[in-house]
Order: sequence, then structure tokens, then C-alpha cells
Amino acid sequence: MTMARQLCPPWPAASDAERSPIPAKPGIGLRFPHHRIVAETRPDIAWFEVHTENYMGGGTPLRYLDDIRRDYPISLHGVGLSLGSAEGIDSNHLKRTADVIARVQPGLVSEHLSWSMVCGTYLADLLPLPMTEEALEIVCRHVDQVQSALGRCLLIENPSSYLQFKHSTIPEWEFLAAIASRTGCGILCDVNNVYVSACNHGWDASAYLAALPQDAIGEIHLAGHAIKDIGGRILRIDDHGSRVSPAVWDLYAEALSRFGQVPTLIEWDTNIPDFEVLRDEAERAARVMESAKTGAIDADAA
Amino acid sequence: MPTLLELQNAVFRAVVSRDAAELETHIARSELAPADPIEVYRNNFFASLTNALRLSYPAVQRLVGEEFFDAVAEGFIEAQPPQSAYLNAYGEGFADYLAAFPAAASLAYLPDVARLEWTVNRALHAPDARALEPADFAAMAGILPDQLVLVPHPSIGLLRFSQPIEEIWRAVLVQDDERLNAIDRAAGPEFVLVERSASGLEVSRLDEAEWRFTAALCTGEAFAAAAEAVSELDVAQALARHFAAGRFTGFHRKPSAS
Repeated sequence: MTMARQLCPPWPAASDAERSPIPAKPGIGLRFPHHRIVAETRPDIAWFEVHTENYMGGGTPLRYLDDIRRDYPISLHGVGLSLGSAEGIDSNHLKRTADVIARVQPGLVSEHLSWSMVCGTYLADLLPLPMTEEALEIVCRHVDQVQSALGRCLLIENPSSYLQFKHSTIPEWEFLAAIASRTGCGILCDVNNVYVSACNHGWDASAYLAALPQDAIGEIHLAGHAIKDIGGRILRIDDHGSRVSPAVWDLYAEALSRFGQVPTLIEWDTNIPDFEVLRDEAERAARVMESAKTGAIDADAA
Repeated sequence: MPTLLELQNAVFRAVVSRDAAELETHIARSELAPADPIEVYRNNFFASLTNALRLSYPAVQRLVGEEFFDAVAEGFIEAQPPQSAYLNAYGEGFADYLAAFPAAASLAYLPDVARLEWTVNRALHAPDARALEPADFAAMAGILPDQLVLVPHPSIGLLRFSQPIEEIWRAVLVQDDERLNAIDRAAGPEFVLVERSASGLEVSRLDEAEWRFTAALCTGEAFAAAAEAVSELDVAQALARHFAAGRFTGFHRKPSAS
């Protein structure tokens, strides 16, 4: 058993009352255009998630977050740690992340199964890894390093991807399960990403969900994606720029039936709409959660 | 089979340097040609960084137009890609890049407008810091003026322009062409202070003596030396204004040179 595993028992054992744990209800990804409406109207939303990188400076954004944090549990979602970089973790960025965590005291902290840094350059995207033993060892080492430095568990999110590498040998779902079992981290299951990658690569989305370790799932993400026609071939692009698609809602219901009630986030990052639209999506997620609960009871009764 | 580092270097060349020859050999067969998904990643890279530059340089974008801005941003991103995932700190070299960009030479003041916008961006994102309060002044009074060094608030930026850049910047941001055209480009030098106060971002013009005094204090000169260089200024009043505006957050004793 590794040090990190002792530090980080399998999710969700690491819940800590002082951190206002994230409830198993729908939450909304909070972006700058909605700071004011949330601060002023205190909408009936169970929790918010923000991008860690947006609160690494001082000034207005941090003031809003401090204010909103008083009334809502907050989850921190990072996009910059680059857990899959062969060159290692940027210690300055890890320090900045630790500082935001110390200030916000989030209920959850998550990052991505991807990489963004090479040659000392940030490629400003969540790039796909080759699914190899070498990459798996590197990611696990970095998850261990980050969890030790932060003194808490991470959730790792499955990516959307547009290509696969020839030399990949491990299916992505097995790769994720292996990270969780080796490092004790949890999994953030982005149902839209499962759908997008499954469509792009011809995978079976249901089989993907079935292969994930149920007790490691700490959060679900939902978002819209775009459909790009390239010479008659369809590529699905994870742009977080529209409502959740009908097929992803169906897959979400399936995910809940497998994983049980899990905190579920509505994300929207491109052409951000009025807050009401996000609230509407969150209400739909609540209805799906409610019927999943009933479904579970029916299944028990049967 | 490439190592992870070799593969990531190949992605760097494909995305930043537009040389995808090696990367294409590592991509598994699919319905798409290997170049197609690579193009998606390349577009994401340039689009998200161009967007970051747009947020930091709105006046430059208005002055040159969206199309020109995108073109110059693309060249800048390729030449100076970000070195960290903290994108609020990305784009510092844009003013110098513009100054060396031949097609921008007709707008001589463009690089200085970019310098002002970068200083504004820095001020907006600078860390928070507690300003000196009356309780701190008693301890400060025990330090001799030739040894007293003040620590400026991290948001403070001081700029000196040979043209009325601050006036141009304001007119551009409010999209007031009449006001922009009325500005006398030959009007003397401009001394600008950028800061983030409790009420938000402030950009103001100082007179030359006050600017030099402030700049000396902010670069770590002792109070007495900073004051000596501006005999025409009432430094006690100037310092009181600085303290009232919360421009200094700490102080220390500088060891005597003698």
C-alpha cells in the first residue's frame, strides 16, 4: 500500500464536515458573467463549481467568490495542472492551486486525465494521452504528488478526445479505473465526454460506464457539445456551448442507475447564456435524479 | 513507439509550429484523415489564446480591428506561447511585438496603448494586500527618513509616455471617435498611475514631480532620497495622499550606506 493510498482512502470516505461537502444534487458551473446575479439574488442552487485558474489573482473575482462561498458549497475544478505531462508538474502552478484551496475550502477538488504542458509551454487545451503503461505510471505519480501536496483527494475527469494513438494498449475506462485504484483518487465522470469520445472513436458508451468503479465516482459533469462535419464525416467537439443533448440526458440516467445519486454539474463555457438557462438545465438534472431514485426503489421492490 | 515525452514534443510541433509530419504517423486509423483532428487541436490552441489576448487588449483590438488583431495575435502566440497555465499572466510581450510588427507601424502610439493595457491587466489580477493603516504609522515614525523604504501595493503600475496615451486609451474604450480625433497627439509627455483601489481599477495622470517621487518610492528608494530629487513637490502632502489611497502595504528599514 502506497503513502498516497493511506492519505487518500477510496472516495467518498474523505468527506470533511468543515469543508461543506458537495451535496448529491445538481450544481452550476459559475462563470464571471453570473457573479453579480448569484451574489445579489442568492438563487436556490445547491452548489457551484468554479475553475481554479480564474481565482489565482486578487481583486473583484476573488471578492465575489468569497461572498458567494458564504452561502454555497464550492467545488474547485482545475484545468492547468497537466497531470499527464512527461516533464512533470509545474510547482508554481501547484502552489497557486494550493493557495486557492486554502482560501476557498472547497468541498471537492478535481482535475483532468489529460496534459497541457511540454517544452515549458502551456498548450491551453486538455490534450489526449496515449493509453500506455508509461503514461499510466506518469499520471499516477503526478496524482500521488498533487494529493500529497494538497493533503486531500482529487477527482480525475475523463476527457473528450478527437484522435487516438496507434500505440495505445489500455482502454480509457481501464486506464481511469487503474488510476483510481493505484492512487485512491476519485473519478469525475463527464457523461458528455463519454458520449463525445464514444461517438468519435466508435466505443460503446454504456460499456464505458459499466467498466468504471462505481464507488470511485464522486461527481458527474453534463454539458453541450458541437457537431462538426469534416468532408461528410462527423466529429463531435466538446465546446460546452449549448444545452445538454438528448442522447447525453439518456446516458446520464443510465449513469445514475449505475452510480447512484452523485453531485451533478451543468457546465457552459462558450456563448454563455442567461443564468436562467443554466438553472433550467439544473432543474432538468434534478428531475432525472428524482426518477433515478424512484427507479432504484422499484428495482429493489421487484 | 514514441515515449510520452517524444509524443508530446511532436504535438508541440504540430500545434504551435504547424509541423504535423511526425505526429500524423502516431495517430490511429479512423474515418478522418490524421490531419483533421490535429487541426481541431491547433484551432483550439490559437482560439483560446487569442481570446485571452482580446480580454487583456480591448483598446488595441478596437484600434486595429478584429481581423488585424487576430492576425497579429496568431504571430505573437506562435512566437511567444504561454509558459504557465495561469493565463492572466499571459501576453506581457505583446506591446514590444506590436512595435516590431511592420503592418502596425502606421499607428505609432499602438505599442504604448498596449503597454497601458498590460499594466491595467496586471493591476486587475494583482494579489490582494492590506494597505498601511494609522496603527502602522507609529512604528514607521521610529525609522529615519533616509532609511525608510515603503512597499507598494502589488497592483501599482507607473508609466511615462511621450504622447497622450491615457487620453487615447479612454477615448477608444468609450468608442468616442470625435474625442479621439480631437486629441493633440503632439501634447507633451504623460505621467500615468495605474492602481486597483477598494472601488476598482483607477488610471490617473500625475504631474511629473509627483510621478517621479511615487516611482522612486515604488522602486525601493528610501523616503529621503525620493524626496530630495523633487524639491518642488510638497512630499508630506503627496505621501499623505498615497497613504489615504492605500498605495503602500508595508515598510522596512534600509541599512545605512555609510
